[in-house]
Amino acid sequence: MLELRNVYKMWQARVLLGGVNLLLQPGEVVAILGPSGSGKSTLLKMVAGLESPDGGAVYWGGQDITAMAPERRGFALMFQDFALFAHLDVQDNVAFGLVEQGLRRPAARAQACDMLGRFGMAAFVHRRVAQLSGGEQQRVALARALITQPHVLLLDEPFSALDAQLRVQLRAEFVQRIAERNMATLLVTHDEGEARAMATRAYALRDGVLQVLW
Amino acid sequence: MQKFARLLLPGLPVGFLLIVLVAPSLRLLAEGGPLQWWEPWTDPYLLRRLVWTFVQAGLTCGLALVLGLPLAWVLARWDFPGRLVLLRTLMLPFVVPTLVAAMGVLALWGPQGLVAGWGGPDLQGSPWLLLYGNLFFNLCLVVRAATDALQQVSAARVAAARTLGASPWRAFWRVEWPAIAPWLMSALCLVFLYCFSGFGLALVLGGQDYATVEVEIYTLVAHELQLAQASVLALWMLLLTGLVALLYAVLERRLATPLRADRMPRRRPRGIGQWMALVLVLAVWMLVCVAPLAAIAWRALMAGSAAWSVLLNASTWQALWNTARFTLLAVACSAVLGLTHAMAARRSLPMRALVFLPFVVSPVTVAFGLLLLYPQWTASMGLLVAAYTLLAYPFVAKSVASGLDAVPPHVLQAARTLGATPWRVFVRVTLPMLRPALRRGLAFAAATAVGEFAVTLFLSRPEWATVTTLIYEHLGRPGAAHRDAAMVLACLLMALALLIFVLIEWSAAPASATGGDGGVRNNGVVVEQVHA
Repeated sequence: MLELRNVYKMWQARVLLGGVNLLLQPGEVVAILGPSGSGKSTLLKMVAGLESPDGGAVYWGGQDITAMAPERRGFALMFQDFALFAHLDVQDNVAFGLVEQGLRRPAARAQACDMLGRFGMAAFVHRRVAQLSGGEQQRVALARALITQPHVLLLDEPFSALDAQLRVQLRAEFVQRIAERNMATLLVTHDEGEARAMATRAYALRDGVLQVLW
Repeated sequence: MQKFARLLLPGLPVGFLLIVLVAPSLRLLAEGGPLQWWEPWTDPYLLRRLVWTFVQAGLTCGLALVLGLPLAWVLARWDFPGRLVLLRTLMLPFVVPTLVAAMGVLALWGPQGLVAGWGGPDLQGSPWLLLYGNLFFNLCLVVRAATDALQQVSAARVAAARTLGASPWRAFWRVEWPAIAPWLMSALCLVFLYCFSGFGLALVLGGQDYATVEVEIYTLVAHELQLAQASVLALWMLLLTGLVALLYAVLERRLATPLRADRMPRRRPRGIGQWMALVLVLAVWMLVCVAPLAAIAWRALMAGSAAWSVLLNASTWQALWNTARFTLLAVACSAVLGLTHAMAARRSLPMRALVFLPFVVSPVTVAFGLLLLYPQWTASMGLLVAAYTLLAYPFVAKSVASGLDAVPPHVLQAARTLGATPWRVFVRVTLPMLRPALRRGLAFAAATAVGEFAVTLFLSRPEWATVTTLIYEHLGRPGAAHRDAAMVLACLLMALALLIFVLIEWSAAPASATGGDGGVRNNGVVVEQVHA
C-alpha cells in the first residue's frame, strides 16, 4: 500500500503542496486532476523519489521511503513525452530496467521481445524510437514501465501528446494491462474525461490540497 | 561517493586552471612592476605596435563583414547546387593550423608566390599579407554566424514588411538587419579577439613592420630577454582581450533564443543577374578560403623530388611522432578535464563562465607565464602537455556542455525510476547520448593540438620539435630548398587537418539530430577555435 502523509512542498516562496494525504491500494487507479502549475507532476516525482518533500513522508508497505533513492523503490514513472532513450532501439529501451535489475542482456532482450509481442509491437523491436509514431512510442513506454513489474505505476499526463482518437483507444488498452497486473496506479492529468475512463477514485489538487471528486 | 563526485567535478578543472592559467598570469603581474605599467602607451615604438594591433583587428572585422554578409545571405536564402558542400567546407579553416594558413598566403601572394610568378603584385612587406591571412580564418566565422542568424529571421515579419510597401532591399535593412545585427556583433567580437591576440599569422606574415603585440612579447622574451617589458605588454593584452571577451559573453547570452519555426524559405536564383551575383560571392570565398590551401598543394607538387625527400628525414619522422604523442596526450587529458568541467558547469553558472577563461588568455601569455612561474619545469613534458591541454580542453568542455543541455532531464529521471543508480545513468544514458558532442569536441581539441605553435615554440626542447616548429625552422633558413621543404611539410600538416575535418563533419550529423547544436552553439564552437 502506498501512503502519502502530510506531504508538503514550497516552490519559489509559495506553497505548492500544503500537506497532501493519500492512500493507494494495489489494483487501484487513482487520478489527480489539476491545472498546469498546480503541483501534480511534482507530487508524482516525490512519490518516484526524484524530488524530496520539504515536509511529510511517503510510505510503501508501512516503510518510510521518503529518503530512498528512486532506483530502489520499484516504482515506474511514465512521462508526458515518454522519455524514451533516443540512443537505444525499441528492444533495448524495454530491456533497460531488466538489465539494471541484474539480468544478462540476452535474457533481458528476450523478455523485452516477448513483452513487445504482447503489445503488438513485434515488428518494431529493432527500430529506433525516433522512427515510431506517437502511439507506438506510447506502447513502448508502457512496455518499458511494466516489464520490471513495478509495485506502483505513476502516469504523468500519459496521453496528452496523442490525438483524440488514439487517446481513447490507448486508454482502454492501458486500463486492461494495468488490471492484469494488479498494480497501484497514480494518474496525473488535467483531462477529466481521461480520469473518469481510467480511475476508480479521483482528487482535484487545488491550492496545494487534495479535494475528493469521486 | 556522491559527495566525492560533487567535489571532484569542479575541483579537477578549477585546480588545473589555477595551476596552469591563473597562477602563471599572477606571476606575470608580479614581473611587470608598477613603474612600467604605462610604458606601452608612452613608448612610441610599443605604441605603434599596439595601434597596429588594434587597426589590423578592426580592418579584418570590417572586411570580413563586407565580404561575408553577401555570402551568408546567398547561403541562407538561395538554393543552388553544391550549397550543402559549401556550408560544410566553411568549417575547414577552423581546423587548418595557423602556420599552414600563413604558408598558404605566402605561397599565393609572397615573393615567390603564384601571383607574383604570373606577373601580379608581391605583397611581402605590406600590411595586406597579414590582413589576407586574418580573412582566411575569419571570413568563414562571420559567414557561419550570419547564415545561422539569417535562418532565424521570421518569415512572417519580412512578409509583413513587404505587404506594408517595403522593397526587398528595404525589408532587409528594416527587418532582417536589426534581427541579425546582434549575431554579427558577437561574431565580430570573436574576429577582433582572434586578430588582436593572434600570434602565428602575425609572426610569419607581419614581418618586422607589421608585427603585432603578441609577436613583440615573443621577441622580447625569446630574443631580447626583456621579461619586465614583455610582462607589462602581456598584462595589457590580457586586460584588453578580457574586455572584448566580456562583451562577447554579454552578446552571446542575449542570443540564446529558441529556433524559429517560420523560417524564410530558400529559392533558386532567378535571372542572369542573380546567378552572376552568386558566382561573384562564390569567387570571393574561393579566393579567400580555398586559394591559399590550393596554393600550398600546388607549390608542394611543383617542388620536386628533392623537397619531398624531407618526408624521409629522421627529423620529420621525429616531428611527426612528437606531434602525434603530444596530441594524443593532450586529447586524453582534455577528455577527462572537458567532461568533468562540463558536468560541473551543468549546475553552476560560474563554472560555465570558466570554460571561456583559456580563450581569453593568448597562448603566448600562457607560455610566458608558465616559463616565469615554473622555470625548473621549463623543458618538462608534463608542463608542455599541460599547456597543450589548457588550449585544447575547453573545446571538449564547451561541446559536451552544449550536448548536456540537449539531454532532456526527464530521460535521466526515467532511467532512475527504471532502477539505474546515478553512475549507471551516466554510463548507460548520459554518456551514449553525449557521444557525438564528445567526438566533436575531441576532434576540435585534436585540431588545436596538431597545429599548436606558440606554446611549443616557448616550452619545448630541440628534440621535441613538432611538425609546426619544424616548418618554422625550415622557413627561417635561407634558400629555396628549405622553403620548398616547408611547403611539403605544410602539405602534410594540411592532410592531418583534413583528416580531423572529416572526423568533425562525420560527427556533425548525429549531433544536430539530437538537437545539440543550434545556430548560436555552432557559432560558439567554431569561435573558440580562434585560439587554436
